Amino acid sequence: MPSSQTPSIAGTALDPTSVRPPLNDAEIVRVTPAELRDTLVRLRDEGCSMLLDLGAVDYLERSPRFDVAYHLLAMPAAVTSVAEIGTPRRVRVLAGVPGDDARLPSVVDLWPSADWAEREVWDLFGITFEGHPNLRRVQMPDEWQGHPLRKDYPLRGPATEATPRPAFALKSNVPAGTPPAGKVAEALQRQIARARGQDV
Amino acid sequence: MEMRPGEFMLGKLDDVARWAQSSSVWPLTMGLACCAIEMMSVQAPQYDIARLGSEVFRASPRQADLMIVSGRVAQKMGPIIKRLYDQMADPKWVISMGACASSGGVFDNYAIIQGVDTIVPVDVYVPGCPPTPDGLLYAINLIQQQIRQGGRGGILARA
Amino acid sequence: MSAEAPHALEVLEKTGNTMTLSMGPQHPSTHGVLQVIVEVSGETVESLEMEIGYLHTGIEKSAENLFWTQAQTVIERMDYLNPVGNALCYTLAAERLLGITEKIPARAQAIRVVHSELTRISSHCVWLGTHAIDLGAISNFWYAFDIRENILDLVEASGGARMHPNYLRIGGVNGDLPAGWLEQLDVLIEKFPGRMHELRTMLQNNPIWRDRTIDIGIVTPEDAVKWSLSGPSLRGSGIAYDVRKAFPYCGYETYEFDVAVRSEGDAYARFLVRLDEMDESMRIIRQVRERLRTPGPVMVDDPKIVAPPKETIALSMEALIHHFKIVSEGFRVPPGDVYQAIESPRGELGYYLISNGNNRPYRIRTRPPSMYNLQALKQIAIGNLIADMVVMIGSLDPVFGEVDR
Repeated sequence: MPSSQTPSIAGTALDPTSVRPPLNDAEIVRVTPAELRDTLVRLRDEGCSMLLDLGAVDYLERSPRFDVAYHLLAMPAAVTSVAEIGTPRRVRVLAGVPGDDARLPSVVDLWPSADWAEREVWDLFGITFEGHPNLRRVQMPDEWQGHPLRKDYPLRGPATEATPRPAFALKSNVPAGTPPAGKVAEALQRQIARARGQDV
Repeated sequence: MEMRPGEFMLGKLDDVARWAQSSSVWPLTMGLACCAIEMMSVQAPQYDIARLGSEVFRASPRQADLMIVSGRVAQKMGPIIKRLYDQMADPKWVISMGACASSGGVFDNYAIIQGVDTIVPVDVYVPGCPPTPDGLLYAINLIQQQIRQGGRGGILARA
Repeated sequence: MSAEAPHALEVLEKTGNTMTLSMGPQHPSTHGVLQVIVEVSGETVESLEMEIGYLHTGIEKSAENLFWTQAQTVIERMDYLNPVGNALCYTLAAERLLGITEKIPARAQAIRVVHSELTRISSHCVWLGTHAIDLGAISNFWYAFDIRENILDLVEASGGARMHPNYLRIGGVNGDLPAGWLEQLDVLIEKFPGRMHELRTMLQNNPIWRDRTIDIGIVTPEDAVKWSLSGPSLRGSGIAYDVRKAFPYCGYETYEFDVAVRSEGDAYARFLVRLDEMDESMRIIRQVRERLRTPGPVMVDDPKIVAPPKETIALSMEALIHHFKIVSEGFRVPPGDVYQAIESPRGELGYYLISNGNNRPYRIRTRPPSMYNLQALKQIAIGNLIADMVVMIGSLDPVFGEVDR
């Protein structure tokens, strides 16, 4: 049986980021949306010059609902050897975004590589990035409704299909009870009408 | 067709045409995901699809007669596959390679079209995730058999 | 510039007549489903806009609805040229949350390293074959894919499938190497230098190749950091950042290998970096081969996470119960979030994995190296010919399963 139908085990954490064990994977800085840009600029000036990644998480039952995680890496912007790079500093900035007012300032002017990442967060989570020059869907078609990676969006998506169906119908696609169509069916209708003495 | 000793070969025009078509099935480069890499392996020396007649993979749908849908079909890609299929000239055949193209595969979710046969008529389905190149070669063989028996492609769907 | 057509050129210069072309998403040279909408004036790219998303699979959402071991099957299909790498990054992240990183047996780590490096070589083979074929050098495709077939035979022998073997598991690897595997690896190790020499001879000093890749797609170190490049694309610009050296995992700090780096920043530099990386990978494989001589366990000894061997089920009640629990409801991973990175053939592949204590991953945010590498094209393609843009896409080596997920 598919595991999506098996209920999950009870007793799960509401906010995993606050109960995490010490893992030494990155320095973690938690900010509010208002403090975000200043923190990122400060970290960039301290040497965290590369924006590794920008991604969102939906904690449905927590407040604030969303977390947008910015992963930064201290990378010298010049020709450098392995020994000089050593173990670069990693920082994770977590911005808690409320569900009813889901917006954040965009960082495209600081790091142009944030372009597609922010568009993807808008597409899949519905968080608006103010100041982004081209905030439109990137993974889903432009006319898609809803934000798929939110926890309240069904896994299998909406009931309607976005792809246009072709004119021909395959047997397996035709729902039961559909009246017959096509040249053969029309010929049959004509035969029946002729047999009943009606006008063809 | 029969061969007579000497200079003549007798046969029906249909048979000759089908022999020519089945011996030179040129696929369209419709590589989407992991199955596309196995499709590339089929072109590679160890499995070599060229010995079956598919000497080149044409990028233009106008010049191809077989569309191998190799890979998962995302929502954005569906209309494009339909358009490419329409642009191919008759007679044309479609192989749905892999589990994702045949039925959605492991991805039973919002993003993947659950089977490319909802968009284009498929002649041969190849199971596997991804199918081994042998599987794809067998599918090409089945297409060749269909051609030699007179199938004009999409035979399950078009009247 | 002929004397007969000055008027046409004048008109062109005055009106700035550009043509908008859509390259892709079905195109032989875009390395997958990428749509590049270019505005060209003649053959020169004036501006471009890239459309991705043609392979969006909802892998991250699918993984949220599958058990921890089942989620690996869909996660492996992200970067389809490096399935072992995807699995490795995921298992390392989950093991960190479980707290069993130190308990993974040494033989399992060695098997992970050898599979990782073999997959790196096979991924670079596909890159080389397709990059060369975009430029018309078709012979390289055959030679490179021949090496790849040998590697896929090895992966199939140990994991069960050529691609997406799901061989690396949380806790180790799924079963020891079969008999004869190491001998087959020895055959490859012996054959490899000759094959690499052939690949290099065909392209490295080929005047056509050099003309088409030298000084094309130059990325300065500042731009590389600005566009978040990683992997060979970053090392081709002189910054020697390799996750295997900076944040070692799986015992990489105990192997002796160099990081290939060049400073020119053009497509030829990235080409040389990847070829050198293939040689370095084989160097690591030779060292791991020695370690694989010693037998040992390949899975961590924790019945709550790893199902006990099938033979014990008939003999022990606890083994049966553990097996049943793991298969029917999976295991729980303690709550927390972790960022784990590995060096994939494309760059830094990172997973921001979050568990809320459940028997399924809560969220797996992928840091796809190809998505960030590809964005650099927005800058480096402007002002160059369309043919050069093809070279640049090839030299950045994007894989769309990863870009779109």
